Amino acid sequence: MTDNKDDSSFERRTKRVFDDSVAALDAATRSKLTQARYRALEEQASARDRGLMSSLMPAGAVAATALVALLVVWQGPQRPPRVPDSEPLSDLEILLGEEDLQMLDEEIEFYGWLEEQPEFASVDSVG
Amino acid sequence: MGLALSIAQREASLGTEGALIGALIEAFLRDVEARAYRIAVVQVRDRHEALDIVQDAMIRLVQRYANRPSEEWPPLFYRILQNRIRDVQRRRAVRSRFMSFFGGTASEEEHDPLAEAPGPRGDNPLEQVTADDAMRALERALDGLPARQREAFMLRNFEGLDVAATATAMGCTEGSVKTHYSRAVHRLREVLAEHGEEQRDD
Repeated sequence: MTDNKDDSSFERRTKRVFDDSVAALDAATRSKLTQARYRALEEQASARDRGLMSSLMPAGAVAATALVALLVVWQGPQRPPRVPDSEPLSDLEILLGEEDLQMLDEEIEFYGWLEEQPEFASVDSVG
Repeated sequence: MGLALSIAQREASLGTEGALIGALIEAFLRDVEARAYRIAVVQVRDRHEALDIVQDAMIRLVQRYANRPSEEWPPLFYRILQNRIRDVQRRRAVRSRFMSFFGGTASEEEHDPLAEAPGPRGDNPLEQVTADDAMRALERALDGLPARQREAFMLRNFEGLDVAATATAMGCTEGSVKTHYSRAVHRLREVLAEHGEEQRDD
């Protein structure tokens, strides 16, 4: 019991000695400690800014996606029908057009008439 | 810490969450910095290194644990501080071995704690010299303790952490803290009594 009492009395004294030594810190050291604290708090401020940016990023991404989706939906019905104007497509249209078939019929008659002409028949027999 | 913290809490209650944390952590650091510095000086015996250690501990606390509840800051801060102190001591031990291997002496690089002791302050120089003497005697006695006993004593007695917070700061069990602390108190009493330096209680 007495030992415990002595211990706590000793602990109070050592605590007081330590507190006095802290209170006795010179101004230069206190100033350096203040600077160190400010440096640490600057870190906190920049970390907070980084945190704010990263917390705003998902919201920004959602907003951008919504905007793109809105533009797509809005532009969709108003888009004019695309007119095919490339050359391969034009050729295909000519080949498949009705007038081509008529021209083919005329040419068959022409080739039939041509075969009946004598000067062309002699040319064929020579070869 | 109490008054500064409650003022900061009141001031910051009008601001955003980030500003609140900033105000609280500033109050905490302002409250703890001088004691942390003295604790570091006692252990590393070098004012410049002690300042670096305290600054690192502040920065790491802010970077990693600013968003934790403020009640957790004291043990976390002192854990970081003690880890940094141990790093410095380990580096110094390696340097000492290196120097002795090449024939030099490590003490060439060490600083004189008496020369680095704080200068007189206050209105009564005689009283101040006595206070400085008492602290030097205490530091010498602390020097003779095993590292873990010294840590437990400084965190419990100087900083006023409770057993649980000291255990968190030291990274050990509460039982170990009690053992280290009790042994430290008894050893310090013996050493200071031997040298007739145990101070009178008012």
